[in-house]
Amino acid sequence: MSTSRRDFLFHSGGGLGGIALASLLGADKLLADAPRKRADGGLHHKPKAKRIVQLFMAGGASHVDLFDFKPELVKRHGQEANFGEHVEAFQNGLGPWLKPVWEFKTYGNCGKQLSEVVAPLGDVIDEIAFIHNMIGKTGVHSQGTLLQTTGFNRPGFPGMGCWVSYGLGSANENLPTFVVLPDHRGLASNGTKNWDSAFLPAQHQGTAIYPGTKTPIEDLFPDERAKFVTRDADKAGIDLLTELNKQHANARPGDERLEARIKSYELAAKMQLAAPEALDISKETKETLKLYGLDHGKTSFDKEINPLEETDYFSRKCLVARRLLERGVRFVQVWSGNDNGFPRRNWDSHEDVKRDHGPLAYGMARGASALIADLKRLGLLEDTIVLWTTEFGRMPSSQGGKGRDHNPYCFTNWLCGGGIKRGISHGPSDDFGYKPADRKYPTEVYDVHATILHLLGIDHTKLSVRHNGIDRRLTDVHGHVIEEVLA
Amino acid sequence: MLLRSLVSIALVVALVAVPSGTRADDPPKSVDFERDVKPIFAKHCYSCHGPEKQKSSLRLDQKAGALAGGDSGKVIVPGKPAESHLLKLVASDDPETRMPPKGARLTPKQIATLQQWIEQGAKWPDDESVKVNPADWWSFKPLKKPAVPAIQNPKHEIRNDIDRFVIAKASDKGLSQSPEADRRTLIRRLYFDLIGLPPFPEEVEAFVKDTAAKAYEKLVDKLLASPHHGERWARHWLDVVHFGETHGYDKDKPRPNAWPYRDYVIRAFNSDKPYGRFISEQVAGDVLYPGTVDGIEALGFLAAGPWDFIGHAELPESKIDGKVARHLDRDDFVANTISTFMGLTVHCAQCHNHKFDPITQHDYYSLQAVFAALDRTDTRYDTDPKIATQRARYDGQKKVATAKLATLIAEARKKAPELIAIEKQLVDAAKPGNTPKPPEFGYHSAISPKQDVPKWVQVDLGESVKLESIVLKPCHDEFNNIGAGFGFPVRFKIEVSDDAEFKTDVIVLADETAKDFTNPGMTPYRAKVGGKSARYIRVTATKLAPRQNDFIFALAELEALDADGKNLAAKKNVTALDSIEAPVRWRKSNLTDGLFAPGARLTATELAKLREKRDSLMKSALGEKGVAELATAESELRVAEMELAKLPAQRSVYIGAIHTGSGNFIGTGSTGGKPRPIHILTRGDVTRPGKEVAPGAIVAIPGITGRFELPPNHTEGDHRAALAKWLIDPNNPLTWRVMANRVWQYHFGRAIVDTPNDFGKMGQLPTHPELLDYLASELREHQSLKKLHKLIVMSATYRQVSTTHDANAKIDVDNRYLWRQNRRKLEAEAVRDSILFVAGKLDLTAGGPSFQDFVIEKPEHSPHYQYHLHDPDDVKSHRRAIYRFVVRSKQQPFMAALDCADPSLAVEKRNETLTPQQALALLNNKLSVAMAKHFALRVEKLAADDAGRVRAAFRLALGRDPTAKERDALTAYAKEYGLANMCRVILNLNEFVFVD
Repeated sequence: MSTSRRDFLFHSGGGLGGIALASLLGADKLLADAPRKRADGGLHHKPKAKRIVQLFMAGGASHVDLFDFKPELVKRHGQEANFGEHVEAFQNGLGPWLKPVWEFKTYGNCGKQLSEVVAPLGDVIDEIAFIHNMIGKTGVHSQGTLLQTTGFNRPGFPGMGCWVSYGLGSANENLPTFVVLPDHRGLASNGTKNWDSAFLPAQHQGTAIYPGTKTPIEDLFPDERAKFVTRDADKAGIDLLTELNKQHANARPGDERLEARIKSYELAAKMQLAAPEALDISKETKETLKLYGLDHGKTSFDKEINPLEETDYFSRKCLVARRLLERGVRFVQVWSGNDNGFPRRNWDSHEDVKRDHGPLAYGMARGASALIADLKRLGLLEDTIVLWTTEFGRMPSSQGGKGRDHNPYCFTNWLCGGGIKRGISHGPSDDFGYKPADRKYPTEVYDVHATILHLLGIDHTKLSVRHNGIDRRLTDVHGHVIEEVLA
Repeated sequence: MLLRSLVSIALVVALVAVPSGTRADDPPKSVDFERDVKPIFAKHCYSCHGPEKQKSSLRLDQKAGALAGGDSGKVIVPGKPAESHLLKLVASDDPETRMPPKGARLTPKQIATLQQWIEQGAKWPDDESVKVNPADWWSFKPLKKPAVPAIQNPKHEIRNDIDRFVIAKASDKGLSQSPEADRRTLIRRLYFDLIGLPPFPEEVEAFVKDTAAKAYEKLVDKLLASPHHGERWARHWLDVVHFGETHGYDKDKPRPNAWPYRDYVIRAFNSDKPYGRFISEQVAGDVLYPGTVDGIEALGFLAAGPWDFIGHAELPESKIDGKVARHLDRDDFVANTISTFMGLTVHCAQCHNHKFDPITQHDYYSLQAVFAALDRTDTRYDTDPKIATQRARYDGQKKVATAKLATLIAEARKKAPELIAIEKQLVDAAKPGNTPKPPEFGYHSAISPKQDVPKWVQVDLGESVKLESIVLKPCHDEFNNIGAGFGFPVRFKIEVSDDAEFKTDVIVLADETAKDFTNPGMTPYRAKVGGKSARYIRVTATKLAPRQNDFIFALAELEALDADGKNLAAKKNVTALDSIEAPVRWRKSNLTDGLFAPGARLTATELAKLREKRDSLMKSALGEKGVAELATAESELRVAEMELAKLPAQRSVYIGAIHTGSGNFIGTGSTGGKPRPIHILTRGDVTRPGKEVAPGAIVAIPGITGRFELPPNHTEGDHRAALAKWLIDPNNPLTWRVMANRVWQYHFGRAIVDTPNDFGKMGQLPTHPELLDYLASELREHQSLKKLHKLIVMSATYRQVSTTHDANAKIDVDNRYLWRQNRRKLEAEAVRDSILFVAGKLDLTAGGPSFQDFVIEKPEHSPHYQYHLHDPDDVKSHRRAIYRFVVRSKQQPFMAALDCADPSLAVEKRNETLTPQQALALLNNKLSVAMAKHFALRVEKLAADDAGRVRAAFRLALGRDPTAKERDALTAYAKEYGLANMCRVILNLNEFVFVD
């Protein structure tokens, strides 16, 4: 590979991995296929957005209790649920119709009805485009999660952030391109499969970051047990390493990987400086902390799950997300909720929606609303996409009185920011929120993914990688850009 | 959607509604496809039925596809517009069915054009789609051993036929071969290639000094004979078959019995098992090699991939989502088998016929049918064939005795029909009563692998009170078909005391620890207290109840009754040595919650009376002789069971097998392993089953027949045996090529066909087709992977230096034609093992259960695999990486940073990256720094001064002495910052992670 080709890969956003990939696999075909960015930052056309933050509600958030108001459920509350057809529910939990467990009120100029538990989102409601006719494939947590994160309902495919990283590369080499902020209680269904790079090179996998903990990023600093690695020893050691590696590489000309590896240590050192700075929210102003609800001054919380604590957790992640996006991270994925255990610490409210959705929903709304307002204030919202999503929705009928079973036949997503139409609701669900109003034309995850890639300047049908004989895409063989939500 | 409800459309639309009398819209007199028809298709149809998408499997952009039709049959019948559904659909008045569904309707003129075109014979000039015969492809051609090219006046060393093929090709391209690498390079290359470990410094020096002509070959033979060879190559194989030791998906449960398959692969490579046998054991070892350990353990291949636990355990096969889970499961069986052994992407034919290769949807579902009886499950087997023989004998005796008993009982019942009612009463007595069982089952201890581990649970009554009696109520749980008396201890005692620790004032109320206590079913156990006072009641199980392959202690309820019969234990606090705590079913507090499965319906006296009556009826029905025979059969049965119980415990292995389960995950065991019916699924949709298919393979592959000839009354095992036979048929054009190609890849870093899992049309062409066929023919002939390895590493091609050469690089910069060796970056496992090796910490113990370099939190629900909680100095984790417990939901961060294979997908070829995260892992990971310290302690003892220690460290890590410059720089650094830091630098050198 010639120097100019290497430089091209470096500067065209392939980053270091670009070199590694091309020179290691040595395949011209792959090199020819490697994404090549346009001057305007897009891959296939001019982009409207440069970065994205995905808010993921693990367990299956109830659209009918949060965003998709159904007066019919209020009217028929407690009556036997008649779906007019045979319904297969995950736990066979099909009790009577259950009205939304919270009151709905109207917000903003757009007049959108929102549940009182997500009232903080009312402040930014005129920014948001809702999609109420999302459908999934199955009501199984693992499959629902993978479908929304990777576009496939089985493991083995790269997350959306991996694809964006692969397509657009990094905007700041000193930070990972794709960052994941998992729920501090644990990973959701499928664990890291939701953001692993699968067949894409490893630098495109999501880097899990736990802000505020002792080790926010794996191996960023020497293991604390190794007292001998002092700061000076470390620095002098890397200098010496570079020196020895250069001698080694000089004796073996023509192998760019050897230089690339030297460069990777330089970048690692830069990341050691850049990452802690990016994660440090102590320099944020009082106003900002207040905006995010982080001015509560508490250092410990009640034993039982509660809205204040959930606000602290989710908002903190949102604020860190903003700092990362601001510094050039392309894709941030924020999780709310962990695996499907007891007591419920995710959105899988089979038993009691009010009890189990409540604190999570309020915390989410507070953090998300602040994030949107903050991005707007900084002028970042115009080229940042915020996507709110979940595994599937929940049934309009009750299960065991206060809970709801899974509803993969209909749920809600919402988007806002770069290139998204403001203050609209697209694709209504039917009168009960059971299925899309127009069953022939639902919205699928492929469409949402296609739309986001479109806004990032990527034609979703063209960003593909051949793996085991198949040209793999984020959108499989599906997907339409949803014109109705484009500004 | 195009062909939806054709029948109803046919009824509605009488015939094409072409408006007549609109002269201006007349179609052209002679319709030309390119000019008149193609633009209509392109504008209105291609977006759904074109190159990108083929809704309903129909495409209108290619002649062959368009005339063949879609899911519901033909749409264009040349010369017959009335039979051409295409016309009905575009002309339909019904917006629900009309095509195209969105956008502008076709104009009457366009419809008339189409009609006329069809009338005139639907003339369509031939295009690519017609000319190409999909089976006409290099990899489907018969495998024949090619003639070895003669090289005139060789300018380069030729050591074997490989070199002749390579040189012939390279000369054509104007390339010249590189010289042989030096001894120091060669020994490192061979060590890493063949056993995945660095050589000891002494071995390097000896090899460098050995001038014998056969020194190199001797080394090759030694390494191929090393037990570590299998460990190295098993890792490559496990990448391809995506072996993992947890299920993946939601609630990523561990598979504690997956490892025997890993050991099987290591053993197979070490013993140089004939490749054909290696394949057939993995597909049908139980059928083809019954009674062998390999025949069972090899089937771990089928179960290697991910599995949706929730999709099976919480959803029955009757539900759509349950069907999806099982469909995905079979898809993985099929894809794993065909891509691993034959390098074809058969899974692409799930929704429609393969777009490029001659694989039909019918073929795909025929392959699913081969595996239709299987699930992934733990299966028990004997690791000693002798024991297996004994077990078979006693099983046989048991069967005979059981049959004899059944005959006698049937006879007795015939003569005394009232026996039936009595036996039913006896059986029912063991079941819980009529009232439904509450979901709160009771208290359940942690699960123990051993039976004789004492466990206790105790109730705190809050104060010392006078007690009359204590009642223990057994649990009822259908788990493993146990039912009544679930978890009731085999030996136990009940004690009371005022001391919570039970150290003082202990009164033993009941002692059942001397001999086994017969499981009471649902009958409560009562112990008299007789007015003594106590605050704490403790039940200690000294011999636990068997569960599956393990042991537990469970009780539904503990009641402490006073003289008035009042339960003083109700809602009182419960503590225990341990508890599984899986609410709502199992938790400590369930022991005093007043909820338990209803008790037996009969009292002990009633039971005894019933038994007596049964015995006397038997006697009168069968006579003295019959009763004696009955007793003999019973005793024979008992003896057989006793002998069986005496045999050493069987081992469990997680394999693809017939599963007999309960709840939603039933498997096919209860039907004797009858395969599930497999239908062709329209668009791969489980709700749209089409024709049922018989087991079979890919029909269009030349030379072998994909239609199985099955024996009469064939079983599911026969299906897999037939598939194995098909795979290893000498005329199978792919099997041998695919494996020869894989072996080549791991020796050169790139394969001859650079898409090892795809030898179809979307795959790459071989750079050296004749060489590949030569190697494949050799493999087919001798079946020996070791011979193949040896042939490759003995070649001059393999022994070349890896340094570049300007003139060659100008022609072939990527070294596709092998004018040099490729400089190899070590894989994650080799790096990790080398780090442990140089630190003197590598434990070379072979085989057995995997080590875990994580701590599992919340194992009872969704296990959290916490790598950061593991201690890097835990010696159990210092074995070779091949023995690492491979988790799917959270990859080992250090290994993942170094590009280890993701066990959720078939990794035919690893990605190789150089990222800052990788640099950070090698610099800072707890394993790297801990081992840097041990490395330092080791070299400290090897020399008297730092310069000597630097030299020792270089020799261990790099197999050479440092240059003066290197030595001085590192010595100076060691003086200032210590040896551990110096060793950390060495472990991060480029030279440490690149072989040449």
